[in-house]
Amino acid sequence: MADVEAARRALEEALGPAEVLSDPLALTLYGRDASMVEGGCALVAFPRSLDHIVACVRIAAEHGLTVVPRGAGTGLAGGATPIGDALVVATTKMTRIIGVSPRDRFAWVEPGVVNLDLASALEPHGFTFAPDPSSQQTSSIGGNVSTNAGGPHCLAYGVTSNHVLALDLVLPDGSLERLGSEAPEFAGYDLRAAVVGAEGTLGVVAAVCVRLTPLPRAIRTMLFDFSTVEDCAATVSAIIASGVVPAAVEMMDRGIVVAVENFAHAGYPTDAAAVLIVEVDGSPAAVDAQARVVEEAARANAVRSVRVAADPAERALLWKGRKSAFGAVAQIAPHYHLHDCTVPRMKLVEVLTGVYAIAERYGIVVTQVFHAGDGNLHPLLSFDRRVPGTLERVLLASEEIVRLCVEAGGALSGEHGIGLEKRDFMPLVFSAEDLASQACLRAAFDPEGRMNPHKVLPAGARCGDFAMLRGGDAAEAAANLPEGSWI
Amino acid sequence: MDLIHPHAKADVVDALAEANAKHERLLVVGGRRHIDKGEPCEVDGELWTTMLDRLVAYDPAEMIAVVEAGMRIGDLNRLLAEGGQEWPSDAPEDATVGGVLAAAASSPRRLKVGPVRDSVLEVEMVSGDGRFVKSGARVVKSVTGYDLHKLVVGSLGTLAVIVQVALKLRPLPKARRTLFAPGWLSAGEELLGAVPGAAGVLATPGGIEVRLEGWPEEVEEQTALAREVAPGLRTEDDARFPAERPWEDAPVVVEAAVPPSALEHLPVVAGERWGALLGVGLMWVGLDEPGEGLRELRARVAELGGVAPAIVGPGGLGAEPVPAAAVHRRLRAAFDPNGVLAPGRFWGGN
Repeated sequence: MADVEAARRALEEALGPAEVLSDPLALTLYGRDASMVEGGCALVAFPRSLDHIVACVRIAAEHGLTVVPRGAGTGLAGGATPIGDALVVATTKMTRIIGVSPRDRFAWVEPGVVNLDLASALEPHGFTFAPDPSSQQTSSIGGNVSTNAGGPHCLAYGVTSNHVLALDLVLPDGSLERLGSEAPEFAGYDLRAAVVGAEGTLGVVAAVCVRLTPLPRAIRTMLFDFSTVEDCAATVSAIIASGVVPAAVEMMDRGIVVAVENFAHAGYPTDAAAVLIVEVDGSPAAVDAQARVVEEAARANAVRSVRVAADPAERALLWKGRKSAFGAVAQIAPHYHLHDCTVPRMKLVEVLTGVYAIAERYGIVVTQVFHAGDGNLHPLLSFDRRVPGTLERVLLASEEIVRLCVEAGGALSGEHGIGLEKRDFMPLVFSAEDLASQACLRAAFDPEGRMNPHKVLPAGARCGDFAMLRGGDAAEAAANLPEGSWI
Repeated sequence: MDLIHPHAKADVVDALAEANAKHERLLVVGGRRHIDKGEPCEVDGELWTTMLDRLVAYDPAEMIAVVEAGMRIGDLNRLLAEGGQEWPSDAPEDATVGGVLAAAASSPRRLKVGPVRDSVLEVEMVSGDGRFVKSGARVVKSVTGYDLHKLVVGSLGTLAVIVQVALKLRPLPKARRTLFAPGWLSAGEELLGAVPGAAGVLATPGGIEVRLEGWPEEVEEQTALAREVAPGLRTEDDARFPAERPWEDAPVVVEAAVPPSALEHLPVVAGERWGALLGVGLMWVGLDEPGEGLRELRARVAELGGVAPAIVGPGGLGAEPVPAAAVHRRLRAAFDPNGVLAPGRFWGGN
């Protein structure tokens, strides 16, 4: 049994009393993330150093608490929602950029560094950190690593995994290991890659060596508008098929455009069925060449108008609209539920129209704003959960949307992760053998199931050779799941 | 020695089940081009993947190809070129896709195209104990469960047999040019800084090669920028890259990996047959034998925080310890509990 009181005393001694919270308000606040799932925890700790993280993990193990690593808590799948006797280890106070090495094109940072703060700090050196999730003003590098975060510019630059060279991980037994390397190759299996995207279930990330991406010398941001969603999606396919990989290809449907325009005043055409933001970057010559091909693709698919950002201010305005979409939809209804499936790019039209049909059948407002170039959809269901029966309809529609994406050959999540919300959809895309093998990977890091239990893998998925003492027990998992997590 | 030639993925499952039952140890073999990388180890048989060479799916508009692991690089290159695309491995024509991945043999253009591990989207594999497992998805972006498919890249055939992969592709560059300039590492560093977006900058004892690729206008622009720091440079379009490989014919070729800024500390121990990828941190070194020279090189590389496995000839991987040794042991025990897949071949005695 967990001895919360003893753990609290030990943590206060190791970290200082100010860095440990146990009052009911804090436990409620840290009992959830940005997903719809509500959980709860026993204690919250704010390490300020690597040694503090080690202390947190050791003390939790000693006193029977599980550990739930947490960054800024912007995760949308419940990966940082604690359940049961959990110690939430929030790394938000570890915000130091440890060192930047422009010649090596890497920087070491603490996990609590905010994504946009890192990008800003690298700019004077002529570099950036390429992953740019919409949450980048808030979300931290540790969280980005744990969800293998994406963002609009991952189309050309790749997801977080491609930008993490090494990381220092505190394993569930309290040992510290450096995975990956500052060198391009390393000894052993690529454990670094296993940890990126593992949603905090393999250990606590204590420091990250990120790859620096040179700032492009030229950028062109274009806004295209279409009178049908089909023309818009066909333009995306045409661009990819033409052999150009733009830096970003983002699509917004009319519902989103209207909501965003009210908020950001970016001058988006509110009568368009869908708009496309395309950004190309690189050398000035490459930008001209790519922009030409992109415009041709749009014109071949009945684009109504083309707007090219004339200066950095206009570019920022066009992006402000896109990046504030999830805030702007609060105008539609107080709650939203967001999906994150990735589908083959040639299936975009089919899946988009299918999503509209499903939402209409359930009488739910759906809007779509997403990374079209990657095939990474974000159908956004807006609703008011205070209206009886609404949440149930949203959940049924959600399941149909997920099934539609899977039938099209898609993945459950492109960048948000599985967490608690998508956990029980995993058997739609993986066999029992696949899931058991994934459980083996998890158990290799965490044989006793101390780290962020109940996440990612559905109850019952377990590694034959390594029974997961805590996390893998189906009956216990079912008993512990909070109300409202329909999964 | 047993030779097993599976013709279908299911045959691999059967072969491994049998090897487990008979307590036989197998070496997984593709095109044999990367087979030297690994610690010396004894096996009872070889499992050849070369008959598993089918194209499973390729639609250029998706920029993804799904192929069986025994497909030869030359065949893959030709298939993809018809779609105007490439999987940039730059491996020999008769190497296999599975071999390139098992050895994590990245392209010399990795400064631009990235390491090969970043291009693997989905893998179908047969674990050492004969279970058929799929990991990843056939889309360019997925955070759906644990990435077993990333663990088998570079695993030297010790966790599972890779039988099929989905690869992220790139458009073929519309223009390719190599710039040849005289000079030492410092001249290469200068060119690296002067030419944004170069695909590769190679330094050898004979001079510098800068690889440019992309749109024709872009390559012209990069050439002009390079001339500002190296007025005497010579250009050649569509040359093989690297054109000069002084390390290549040596009996032992070592691939030293260090942080990029540490490369300048290596030539003194590398002798005369070497080539260094600037900005990447790789140096290939040709040696006559795995003797004192190799020990000295490895000691220097270790001080600089790197590794130096032999990729051709005897020499093994070196004695660098693996991080999280217990995790390595548990992975090996979970995926290959009977030690069928070349025990001892991997780093750290795994």
